[in-house]
Amino acid sequence: MANSLRLYLTCIRNTLDAALCLQNFPCQEVERHNKPEVELKTSPELLLNPVVYGPLVLICRNEAEKCLIETSINSLCISLKVKQSDELENILTKKFLRFLSMRAEAFQVLRRKPVQSFHTFLMVVGYSTVYYTQGYDISFLITNYHCEDMQKQKLIEFIVQFMEDIDKEISELKLSVNTRGRLVATEFLKQFI
Amino acid sequence: MLGAQINPLIAFCPNNNEVHIYKMLEGKWEKIHVLHKHDQLVSGIDWSRRTDQIVTVSHDRNSYVWSQEASEWVPTLVILRLNRAALCVQWSPKENKFAVGSGAKTVCICYYEQENNWWVSKIIRKRHDSSVTSIAWHPNNILLATTSTDGKCRVFSTFIKGVDTKHTSSGSDSKFGELKALISFILQRIVLYLFTYLIVSVTLFAVQQIMQLDLSRSWTFGIRWSPSGNTLAYAGHDSMIYFVDEIGPSPSAQSVAFRDLPLRDVLFLSERMVIGVGYDCNPMVFAADERGLWSFLRFLDERKQTSNAKYGSQLSGTFGKLYGQSKSGSNEANESSRTRAHDNCITSVVPLKKTRDATVTTFTTAGSNTFQHLMDGKVVTWDLQQQQDLMEYLQG
Repeated sequence: MANSLRLYLTCIRNTLDAALCLQNFPCQEVERHNKPEVELKTSPELLLNPVVYGPLVLICRNEAEKCLIETSINSLCISLKVKQSDELENILTKKFLRFLSMRAEAFQVLRRKPVQSFHTFLMVVGYSTVYYTQGYDISFLITNYHCEDMQKQKLIEFIVQFMEDIDKEISELKLSVNTRGRLVATEFLKQFI
Repeated sequence: MLGAQINPLIAFCPNNNEVHIYKMLEGKWEKIHVLHKHDQLVSGIDWSRRTDQIVTVSHDRNSYVWSQEASEWVPTLVILRLNRAALCVQWSPKENKFAVGSGAKTVCICYYEQENNWWVSKIIRKRHDSSVTSIAWHPNNILLATTSTDGKCRVFSTFIKGVDTKHTSSGSDSKFGELKALISFILQRIVLYLFTYLIVSVTLFAVQQIMQLDLSRSWTFGIRWSPSGNTLAYAGHDSMIYFVDEIGPSPSAQSVAFRDLPLRDVLFLSERMVIGVGYDCNPMVFAADERGLWSFLRFLDERKQTSNAKYGSQLSGTFGKLYGQSKSGSNEANESSRTRAHDNCITSVVPLKKTRDATVTTFTTAGSNTFQHLMDGKVVTWDLQQQQDLMEYLQG
């Protein structure tokens, strides 16, 4: 169990080491502008591979946990999908990560909205069709300016540490919710004894 | 080579819209000038040795040629007619023209027109598929090699009538120039005034693409010619460095793949030795053996360091891009630092001192750094006299 986590994180660390070779690059589409090309996606040649949607490196630990790394010449986008085994974890993850994303400016490298995957499924529910978009839970956007201001190794450490801590946080939250629920229920039902 | 100047000078841009000129006084670098004219990041600087002019290009699509008048640097605007940022610039070997690579997928060749007293630019359009990241002039002042983010390296012949004389061009190029001169002479006599102007301007500068090299599958940077102009070297973002020999008659290409992070810039130290700098923060030495096969030799900075304690306090910094040359051959003591020289990516490398036969023995590298309190990038000078095992490649 812990072993597969180690492997997963090592793989991500090595990919980030290679992908975080960013440089300042002025926008080709708009004069005098400097935009993260990974967000723009208009020039396929700048996304490291001549593929329409750019190079997507998808590292999956299992079906529920994956990490998508999109690179370009001046920016990098890392999207994570955290393991959510039941409904409670689902709600907790969503709330916790939304809390962090709202304070993205303090983190600098965080993106305010997680990346939505490009695969949309068409589901027929009853007599209506529903578009179901697979998404990620949280996204990081690292630009060349971040690499200039901060150490590259430190950035990678931060991302990997974040991934480790997320799992711990969610399980802690879940434990505390269950504990509190048990305490409250015990107290409440005491009056009926 | 130049007059009697003792102290070397350096010009670089500390990641903003200024150019700083430093002078070495008594073993310390002192800032003597700040050139402030551009609105956005200065992306390219080149200093011509003989005419003592600095050309700067910037992301704001402008370019200035600075000349020194009575201890002040005076800028002259160059009309580049670019509609995107300029990325790189280099004086030609004779320093009568310079080339600018841009994000508009074009290259501008600029030369000085005496009659009108300004710099004119001619643009190479429709040849590149993406931004031109790096350019290099061949020693014969005519051929220009470019690299671009579409992964291709192209060689152009940029003969300009009136600026380049026939003596400077090689055999095939002089015939090209002569033919064009003849056509323009005849046409001037026959065709109407309006058409004459159009055609003459076309024949005055007709770009001929000599070669296109499609060796790399990812972006290419840092192109350089060897001192004799026989070999071309450039780095690709897929951690490869490409060497092309014998450009004219029968080009032969070699690619050297290495395990480490990609390179940003290369420099020929002699015919058989190349320094590559990049994201590894350590200059890499490539050398060719007697048969002409290139291979990776070693890193220059062999000293390892335990970095944890040092990184803790370094959070902010800017990176300085260094371009510039020393003005004379002086016995400048080398300053390679004791621990790992660079903390962050090295962006460029330039020669500092050349011996008579154009081999370079000292060079400086500059790159991103995390330097506490001091807002300049780390500029490190490397002296090869101390590396005995590399000296044999310098003679080649």
